Amino acid sequence: MSSGSLPSGSQVRDPGYPTPSENYLTNSKGILSWMFTLDHKRIGVMYLIGVTVAFGIAGLLALLIRLHLLQPNGMVFQGEEANNYYNQVFTLHGAIMVFLFIIPSVPAALGNFLVPVMLGAKDVAFPRLNLCSFYLWVFGALFFVSALCASGLDTGWTFYTPYSTTSESSVILATSGAFILGFSSIFTGLNFIVTINTMRPPGMTWFRMPLFLWATYATSIIQVLATPVLGITLLLLIAERTMHIGIFDPEYNGDPVTFQHFFWFYSHPAVYIMILPAFGIISDLISVHSHKRIFGYRFIAYSSIAIALLGFLVWGHHMFTAGMSSLTTIIFSALTFTVSVPSAIKVFNWLATMYKGSISLTTPMCYALSFIFLFTIGGLTGLHLGTLATDMHLHDTYFVVAHFHYVMVGGTLVAFLGGVFHWWPKMFGKMYNEFGGRLSALLVFAGFNLTFLPQFVLGSRGMPRRYATYDPEFAFLHQMSTWGSLLLGFGLLVALVVLLRSLWSGKRAPANPWGGATLEWECTSPPPFYNFERAPSVGDPYDFSDLEWEAENERYVKVEPKREIIPEEQPETAPVHADDSN
Amino acid sequence: MFATMNNMPFLLGDEVASKFTWFPKQASTFAAENDWLFFFISWICVLFFVPIAGCLVYFCWKYTKPKGEKAESNTAHNTPLELAWSILPSFFLVAMFVIGAKSYLNQRTVPEGANDIGLKAFKWGWSMDYGKGVVNPELHILVNEPTKLSMRSSDVIHSVFVPAFRAKKDVVPGRYNYMWFEADVASEKVSDSELAAAVKENIGGEWDYDKWQFTADGYRFYDLYCTEYCGKNHSVMQSVVVVHESQEDLDAWIKKVGKRDPLVDTPEAWGEKLYNQRGCAGCHSIDGSRLTGPSFKESYGNSRILADKSPVKVDANYIRESILYPKSKVVGGYTPVMPSYKGQLSDDDIDSIIAYLKTVSDYGKTAAPAKTEDEPSTEK
Repeated sequence: MSSGSLPSGSQVRDPGYPTPSENYLTNSKGILSWMFTLDHKRIGVMYLIGVTVAFGIAGLLALLIRLHLLQPNGMVFQGEEANNYYNQVFTLHGAIMVFLFIIPSVPAALGNFLVPVMLGAKDVAFPRLNLCSFYLWVFGALFFVSALCASGLDTGWTFYTPYSTTSESSVILATSGAFILGFSSIFTGLNFIVTINTMRPPGMTWFRMPLFLWATYATSIIQVLATPVLGITLLLLIAERTMHIGIFDPEYNGDPVTFQHFFWFYSHPAVYIMILPAFGIISDLISVHSHKRIFGYRFIAYSSIAIALLGFLVWGHHMFTAGMSSLTTIIFSALTFTVSVPSAIKVFNWLATMYKGSISLTTPMCYALSFIFLFTIGGLTGLHLGTLATDMHLHDTYFVVAHFHYVMVGGTLVAFLGGVFHWWPKMFGKMYNEFGGRLSALLVFAGFNLTFLPQFVLGSRGMPRRYATYDPEFAFLHQMSTWGSLLLGFGLLVALVVLLRSLWSGKRAPANPWGGATLEWECTSPPPFYNFERAPSVGDPYDFSDLEWEAENERYVKVEPKREIIPEEQPETAPVHADDSN
Repeated sequence: MFATMNNMPFLLGDEVASKFTWFPKQASTFAAENDWLFFFISWICVLFFVPIAGCLVYFCWKYTKPKGEKAESNTAHNTPLELAWSILPSFFLVAMFVIGAKSYLNQRTVPEGANDIGLKAFKWGWSMDYGKGVVNPELHILVNEPTKLSMRSSDVIHSVFVPAFRAKKDVVPGRYNYMWFEADVASEKVSDSELAAAVKENIGGEWDYDKWQFTADGYRFYDLYCTEYCGKNHSVMQSVVVVHESQEDLDAWIKKVGKRDPLVDTPEAWGEKLYNQRGCAGCHSIDGSRLTGPSFKESYGNSRILADKSPVKVDANYIRESILYPKSKVVGGYTPVMPSYKGQLSDDDIDSIIAYLKTVSDYGKTAAPAKTEDEPSTEK
């Protein structure tokens, strides 16, 4: 089949391009039409801007950390308070990244936009709750910023007691911010659960949903079940600080390890909130850009649910050296190994999807390939940490820092970027420069590895984490890591520039630039504010057989056999049996 | 085979003169087992990662096609394959878990009759308690004998980490945590001339462990780090571990640091040693600069203004009270973070500290006011 020309006897079914009064970006004007919008797509765009700003701030803090660590005695912060500044910088970097960027990024920025459209629906189940979630995010963010500007925060994003109950910094402001952000997360999760449960179109059974929706659903379950525990924990922390209720601080007969149990009971499932949507993105990216049905759909779908559930059972692996009993410690190690299996299943299924496919090395595909490489390293190094004896050496060293950055940055961030590049034409109606996009993928890949691979060795050689200064023997690896971080930062900047430039000078995007088979590609790019006039007919989300590449317009179109609505031949007016004698 | 991986030649060239290593030197009975397990896990990871990365590259190379071409195959499931790649890796996981858990149980179970040393962690230093009133920040143990640490914290969570021993345990306030290890490599002692040269150059102030790479007594050491974030000076809350060849050697050292020997040290000299070794120098300068605590320069015999604005004379009683009950009379403009040394300094130790403080002050002769946050310095 030659590419670029359509098979004969077929016609094209393509929604074309939206008019300005239909385009959700322009159908109503003015700042208030955005601030008070109920359109999930606009809310998604506002979230996208918000999380990008948060990422920018926390990313700059990260560069500050790496620059400071260029020298053993610290290069950036000097003088008496140098270590205090460093401690505040790494705390804010972690807290902003975790609470303001990674947890909301995929569900809120991409999920909000895509979930209703993938379901052929007009909006989410509770549009006002959706807007409320966004404003809760904004308020939570303001609390964090004010904690920064007040007496700072120096407890680490993990707020371990009794340091956090006795520190002079703005713990209450920051934990209040996290508490508010928790509600943003819970409401988003609730919204998605109800939307996916009740608003699937006729014909879209559970196993005919795009895998991005399975992933979103599993994530939402965790968001709704786990986040309240964090909320309560932070409230108890505030109560301990202000009223000395005696739960976490040994000075009032509390137990510091209890805090760790409460905290990690949320924060471990939280990391699955971070990675499951990323898995969902990758399933769609690999399938679409290999133009091949996803391999092992049911296994991938079930594995998302399995990860969501198993993720609640393993929190103790953050506390192997805290002094829990040997039995508890061993049980947590065993459970931790079980949760690694579903993730591995996904990786194998993605590779099998690529096998004998028709791969297009587009920007989203480059990011997806990057994800598989980097996430696999991150996941495999988790084995060293889940194994008890080796964790005795590696816990709280740079090995852990490298491990979680591989899964959170090499995993979630890379998948998020891949998703943004993949759905950008749909969201904004513009195509970006492919060369620039692929260059950004390469720079991010190279910069990221250069930053974090040396950190595994730093950790195994004994360099502890959260250190403002270090012994000179670790200098070379730290320097390598810092140069890598600058390259990574540059690559991310390239990605941002490529995307922003497309808004001004990008080509108009067709409805289906990549050849996807899910419902979001059946409306215009950008979608009309109502998404679909009537619920579209649901096909197989990973069946690409009726999608053809039309080279002339540089787009994929659905083809179907020619139909005649009004046949030329008029039917007979007399019944067939009219001539029979009986 | 796994052991050789530890000494792989460094591929990147001259930057690191010695061979590339993943780990610090193996200095305890845990180390060899831990390192072996690390490499076992790593090779299994390589076993899976190389084919995965290989598939990524190969499939991209082989199956990249122009837009519009259809996939060669649309096979979407193969249940035997799915089960195979789910179940087979599990055998490796079980192996890792079992070996790890067994080693861990061994590392967790303190053997009978281990030498017991008390450890106290505080912001930001260590006090190792050798019994009979001997307390010192350095950890000195005997080679080829199990050593148990009974650990407590006086403020926040800290964590003891000795990379060379592959040993780590959190030190949690409000309870005792225990850990043990058995060092199997004794620390070398440097030559007397090298030691003398270093002592001469390191006049006054704290001993620069990083520079000399041996202790003030001439022993090479293993690093001991705090590895649970505990605030401002978390990264400098370090100590050293010295492994002695023989019990006599260890006893001699304990005797040397335990008590002031009138034939060796005057009270002033002993006080200066304590000032440098017991964590005072980290927060109180002797040159007038403001650190976490007030400077000792021009302190003794002068007046200070407390947080409640009342004045206090820095005399022997005030110094003793501040050492034993540091939060009772804190100078204005400073935070009450000093840990108590009750039970860790003998009366003679406190006398010696007072004697030393007298040497860095004019006491009363110039009646110079104490330097606080807002006042400009009027000291010589």
